[in-house]
Amino acid sequence: MGAIPEADPDEVLETKPFKFVTGYDARFPQQNQTKHCWQNYVDYYKCTTAKGEDFRPCKQFYHAFRSLCPKAWTDRWDGQREAGNFPVHLDK
Amino acid sequence: MIYKSKSNFQNHPFHLVSPSPWPLFTSLSLFILTTATVLFMHGFQGFQYLVALAVFNVIYVMALWFRDVISEGTYLGNHTNAVQKGLNLGVGLFIISEVFFFLAIFWAFFHSAISPSVELGAQWPPLGIQAVNPFELPLLNTILLLSSGVTITYAHHSLIQGNRKGALYGTVVTIILAVIFTFFQGVEYSVSSFTISDSVYGSCFYFGTGFHGLHVIIGTAFLAVGLWRLAAYHLTDHHHLGYESGILYWHFVDVVWLFLYISVYYWGY
Repeated sequence: MGAIPEADPDEVLETKPFKFVTGYDARFPQQNQTKHCWQNYVDYYKCTTAKGEDFRPCKQFYHAFRSLCPKAWTDRWDGQREAGNFPVHLDK
Repeated sequence: MIYKSKSNFQNHPFHLVSPSPWPLFTSLSLFILTTATVLFMHGFQGFQYLVALAVFNVIYVMALWFRDVISEGTYLGNHTNAVQKGLNLGVGLFIISEVFFFLAIFWAFFHSAISPSVELGAQWPPLGIQAVNPFELPLLNTILLLSSGVTITYAHHSLIQGNRKGALYGTVVTIILAVIFTFFQGVEYSVSSFTISDSVYGSCFYFGTGFHGLHVIIGTAFLAVGLWRLAAYHLTDHHHLGYESGILYWHFVDVVWLFLYISVYYWGY
């Protein structure tokens, strides 16, 4: 995988009005976007498990699941990850 | 024939059945069985004994009823060609209803397996389920059942051609294969790492294979009755409807297994 440029700490950051909207994903063409939400949640934690929390491209998955998933669901999945009974191996 | 003796004969080929207690007894037995099973499954204490008693009752009443049917068909000559036609149609409709019973079970399986829910991790089998390897015992069981289809066909054609020995041996071998199949399914169940309460995978697996196994046991009993009647000279080369119905039922059970093997065991592995 090619090197991903780190953020330049000296760069002046400008805050712009921003709203993340998850686009169309051909893997999830249905009206029901449950699995679209789910896949991004899984991909985010697989991504950070493999590459670390600071790996910026992981944020794509984070924004996607945060915009798609009801909070109650992600809270439940967070609890399952902590309890060790999340139904997917995130390190594989 | 003089007019007086003519009134001793019926001028139609149909069997007008005489009053019998067995339909009512069967209904009562089935009602008790259903009620006891529901109460048992809802955790009512002690109802497993009533379930066992009711199962015994159902089988016992069925045996008494079928004994009457055998008397009517074999000894009283009530099963004319027209009556046989109706019985055959009844068996056919019964097997069609069985097809739809299994269709519902497969529907439940595919509903859960084709698009596994996120609660299962969106995967099939779900995480933690060690599915049975389809190329071990299930493949052997497939071979056993397909072979039993061959041997029962040999027995059937032997009977039609008047080869008594072939019919007897063919049926005996079929029943032996059937018993071995049931034994291996029992082995498979006892070494399985999951139970009926382990996710919808376990539910669908035991729902499908369990009811198939029950049908194998019923089909084996069906063929065993045919074997007994063959040995007791009840059957002829052109009148053996019960035996033929047992064979048809056996083929049905065989086909259900093929669908189970392909979709639940192989595709779902």
